[in-house]
Amino acid sequence: MSEATEVNKIIEDATNGGDERLAYRSIFQRLFIRPEIGAIIGVIGVWAFFWAVSLNFGTTGQTQNWLDTASTLGIMAVAVSMLMIGGEFDLSSGANTGAMGIFFILLIKETGDLGGLGLSIWLAVPLSFALAMAIGYANGFMVEKTALPSFIVTLATFFILRGLKLGLSKLLTGQISVTFTDEAHGYSFWQPIFAGTWQRNEHIWNGRDVFYIGFLVIGAGIMALSACEMHFVRRATKAASGLPIFAAGIAGIGAAIFLMHTTDGVGANVLAAAVLAVSVVVGLFGFATWRFEPIANAGKFQLTPTIAAPLVAGLVAVGAAAVASFVIDSDNAETLFFPFTVQGLRAVLMMALSAIGLALLMVAANRALRLNLTTKLVVSTITAAAIAGFAFVIRASAEVAKFRTELFSVFLLAALALFAWAVLGARFAERRRLDASADRFGVRALIFGISLMVAAVTLRHLFVTQAELDAGVNPARFSVRMLWFFAFTAVMVWILGRTRFGSWTFAVGGNAQAARQVGVPAARTKTQLFMIVSGAAWLVGMLLSFRLSSLQAGAGDGEEFEYIIAAVVGGTMLTGGHGTTLGAAFGAAIMAMSLVGIQAARWNTDWRWVFLGVILLLAVIANRFIRDRADGARR
Amino acid sequence: MAETHLLELENLSKYYGNIIALEGVSTSVNAGEVTCVLGDNGAGKSTFIKILAGVHQQSEGTIRMNGEVVSFKSPREALNAGVATVYQDLAMVPLMSVWRNFFLGAEPTKSVGPFKMIDKATAMRIAKQEMAKMGIDIRDPEQPVGTLSGGERQSVAIARAGYFGARVLILDEPTSALGVKQSGVVLKRIVEARNQNLAIIFITHNPAHAYPVGDRFLILNRGKSMGNFAKDDITQQELTALMAGGSELQELQAELEEAISGVKK
Repeated sequence: MSEATEVNKIIEDATNGGDERLAYRSIFQRLFIRPEIGAIIGVIGVWAFFWAVSLNFGTTGQTQNWLDTASTLGIMAVAVSMLMIGGEFDLSSGANTGAMGIFFILLIKETGDLGGLGLSIWLAVPLSFALAMAIGYANGFMVEKTALPSFIVTLATFFILRGLKLGLSKLLTGQISVTFTDEAHGYSFWQPIFAGTWQRNEHIWNGRDVFYIGFLVIGAGIMALSACEMHFVRRATKAASGLPIFAAGIAGIGAAIFLMHTTDGVGANVLAAAVLAVSVVVGLFGFATWRFEPIANAGKFQLTPTIAAPLVAGLVAVGAAAVASFVIDSDNAETLFFPFTVQGLRAVLMMALSAIGLALLMVAANRALRLNLTTKLVVSTITAAAIAGFAFVIRASAEVAKFRTELFSVFLLAALALFAWAVLGARFAERRRLDASADRFGVRALIFGISLMVAAVTLRHLFVTQAELDAGVNPARFSVRMLWFFAFTAVMVWILGRTRFGSWTFAVGGNAQAARQVGVPAARTKTQLFMIVSGAAWLVGMLLSFRLSSLQAGAGDGEEFEYIIAAVVGGTMLTGGHGTTLGAAFGAAIMAMSLVGIQAARWNTDWRWVFLGVILLLAVIANRFIRDRADGARR
Repeated sequence: MAETHLLELENLSKYYGNIIALEGVSTSVNAGEVTCVLGDNGAGKSTFIKILAGVHQQSEGTIRMNGEVVSFKSPREALNAGVATVYQDLAMVPLMSVWRNFFLGAEPTKSVGPFKMIDKATAMRIAKQEMAKMGIDIRDPEQPVGTLSGGERQSVAIARAGYFGARVLILDEPTSALGVKQSGVVLKRIVEARNQNLAIIFITHNPAHAYPVGDRFLILNRGKSMGNFAKDDITQQELTALMAGGSELQELQAELEEAISGVKK
């Protein structure tokens, strides 16, 4: 083959089907080696943990609570993580937030005895922003000119700011805190921007649940379909015979949901659940028949000893968990041995035994897969049945109402998902080559499905129905801080991932000299990163001042380490050149959930630092493990 | 004969305090030619490169491009003038992906409203294409460049320099860390680049690599020029002798022969 055609072939392969030398990595595998995955798993894990151990952690009130805490922490964590990716630290960031707020308040406070400058807020906002940019520029300038580690230079800035805050407040107002009233010019415009709130109980929407359930179900459905799209081989021509089956499944799901919500009573609910389960499997099967390539021969069922052993052992373990749940008294709060009470021991035994059992069943399923698909289908069905059975055990033996309903439903849904996936896997061919267009479509559908589900949950938190109001639901107040947090995170993620500045940030953090050699403006990039951190500090300062209308002189001091911790928990390395701003946002969420959750669980808050330390350690180890697998997978 | 060369160096000198890194070095290179700069370690080759690449400024002497005096105050200026340098350490960021490294500092952009973002699809496609032309099949442009072999990384760097419209390509010891086959590949690339009318300055300490591809040879020894020869005026053996300092090499050869024959007996 001539060299020209060889080159063309390589290019063609790359754009269409991928290199045959490259072992196929499914999109799930590729998702799993992203740096954010540790933080995402952490968020889900910590949330589930606190939901289980506290009474009201999952409620709207508590959700609003930790989201609020996470917002200010998260804005700074996102900015600080960008700086860390660029290879620098800013120890003045915490004090900077307080400084911005105090400076702003001093600008708009009334003149005279009260010591302010009496400026209009319209003037004070851009002035304080300009000061923030100046501080950031100064940090960057000094780091570049002195060539000292940024750790040292920003430590100096930290002390300077700290002193200025205290000194100026005492000098001008005679106190160590500054306050302003709502008579400042422009207050009515600016206050909602930085400290607006949404009172949930004032927004009544009786049609809410239609949208909530609708979006949730449609979102989940789209996610399931997109997972199929990314996993199975597309047929060359679609088989129209699958479409009516698909339609029947959808109709069944609709009917089941309608039934569940219009009737009450155990019998009707059981019927509805059964219809739902059957419809889901039927619908997925119809969709797959229409769209994906079937397998000719899935093999015959064989039960070898290597499969039977873990299978039986797994079932025994799950059975033991069930027995433990019935035999051990769940009412008994006596302490057996520190730190376990009888009921604590029961919970731990149930979780441990069921987890071991599940793991063993997974081992059996994997071994079955190596044999043939029919065997795997049987093993998976048994596993699904075990999970469903365990769900009923929980329902029968759990004291806490939410376990009986919500945990029960989750387990049943998990069993259903496992069963449906096994059925599909036994009948349709799994993809072994790259199909870029299928992956693209699948990822977009997945994102759409997730967005729908997020929208559903958001609607549920933001609005109340008349019925809930009458029943006396607690008020919940959402602050505009969260919108700032989401917007800021989105912008920073976009900048880091999609712009030249983002590429240059990774470059100067990874190998500053190499970056300079190819013409990247390293000093300018780093200075801009310091200015981003300052800008974020300004935003947080504004949010703090407007909410409280007053700030302590010491506001923000010491918090810079929390920002760094959140960034590290999220997956950013301390050494620069590698990291994720989205992860930092999740890291902030994990920390906020821990702080709020510990209070909600009525633990002794003295121990919260122990808990945070343990989380930090686990997060760092997990991120390291993921990164090693990611590098290894690419070698 | 007063011809205008694409790049001409006249009496280049560089002093660091009282250390003479380079003194009175002159050479030239034309489009479609390879000028080899040879010398052992410590001869001043790195300083020579850094001056041409715009990292340092010369203490004395002039640099001319197409007859006009130029002075590069930063790597960016050198790049803009068409002088691209491929460094020994390759100037790659190991944790970043291949395509990002390829386009570092010159990423293609597309405008989304008032904002400019990187045109990632184009960048990945071009990176894979350019490297396929070099005969390097990058399996996945997203993989970190640190996972490539030394020869592949060298090829990425050369492909990068060539793609960005260099008129003069300076290669700093490209074959030093490579095996025989990979070195052959790189030398082939050099010849191809020369055939595309680039001017190449090829810096090496290996006369066996330099002689086949070079049209002109500049030998450096301890900061001074030992001569600036056209290919017709010197043989490979003479080149090697000049580089190693002639008599020293003969003595070494004699000692080696003695040692070997002593062992055999």
